[in-house]
Amino acid sequence: MSSRELDDYRSGQPAQLADVLERVLDKGIVIAGDIQINLLDIELLTVKIRLLIASADKARELGIDWWEGDAFLSKGNGHGELEQRLRKLEEAAGLPTSEQQESSD
Amino acid sequence: MIAPTATLPRKGLGWYLYGVAAADEASARLGAGLAAGAAQEVELVAEGPLVGVASRVSLEEFDEQALPDRLSDATWLEQKIRTHEHVLERVLEHASVVPCRFGTVYRGEVELRRFLSERGEALEAALDRVRGKVEVGVKAFVDRDRFAAGRARQNDDIRQLEAQASTAEGGRAYLERRRLEQLVASELERFRGEATDRIHTRLMSAAEDGLVLPLQAPELSGRAEEMVFNGAYLVTADRVGFEEALGSLARDIRDDGIDLELTGPWPAYNFVPEELGAG
Repeated sequence: MSSRELDDYRSGQPAQLADVLERVLDKGIVIAGDIQINLLDIELLTVKIRLLIASADKARELGIDWWEGDAFLSKGNGHGELEQRLRKLEEAAGLPTSEQQESSD
Repeated sequence: MIAPTATLPRKGLGWYLYGVAAADEASARLGAGLAAGAAQEVELVAEGPLVGVASRVSLEEFDEQALPDRLSDATWLEQKIRTHEHVLERVLEHASVVPCRFGTVYRGEVELRRFLSERGEALEAALDRVRGKVEVGVKAFVDRDRFAAGRARQNDDIRQLEAQASTAEGGRAYLERRRLEQLVASELERFRGEATDRIHTRLMSAAEDGLVLPLQAPELSGRAEEMVFNGAYLVTADRVGFEEALGSLARDIRDDGIDLELTGPWPAYNFVPEELGAG
């Protein structure tokens, strides 16, 4: 087939983030042993990161707010540090914060 | 979630490993000057017949405590992930590469070299499998209107219903429309079931290997049409045979309202062992 025809099947550059994520986070060799950092529970984490990447405001439109009171992400952070950070991010993005949403519920 | 296998120094520089290539291919053709970004230089750490493609990174940045926060930072994560992919794509232009998963960090050069030498055999086997080959992605999307029109040409019931609906009036016209919509929906359901096998079989005949990946939701795929297929294939680096097969498949299913999208070439993420064998 001609290169002109092929162009019809190629998506534009750069690569869609979803395609990059599905490879870089999910695939490739995982080295265990004398390495320092091991990402465990990668599937669960990836699902969550994908939702976040889909952009926080879009996620809210879709009613996705997994980060609120999430035991998985809060684990080991203690004192709700992550929640606070997310609240800051939400404020910075001009979104209603988790706190506001809780009180309005 | 994060399992450190040794007590980490909290400061200083470690090595982020993007992937592993053959020393004779990579060193000769890549040389110096593989820049990951303005601030990050990529180095080839040679050990025997292999090189690790790596960058010095701040251990603080990839610190166990900080990482959960970092991973929740979409901007940070996107930048790191795109860097990872960009570096490997640059390597792929010159040499075959076994890609590592995101977040592979070594405390020091000694540890990185020890990995390359101790797991050398398994790494070389993985490298042999992808030598001279690249991964490509193929996604298929369905356009509902074109699908209905295409099916109408093949399906007598749909054609008949369309004719009746176009001549009927009032309440009967509405009922005929509804029946037509239901028939198209069930045809689409049936097609979806067959599409995976049909597309995958055709593409496998022109590939070294391949697998079906989970479908992406519309908010991630970036397209309004529904995704009906997502696959990855290991193909020869010139991709000629595969692209011919893809073109012929695309022509055959275009009338069904199916559009194909080709991505890549990618490093063979989907065709390296998840964990290296004991060898």
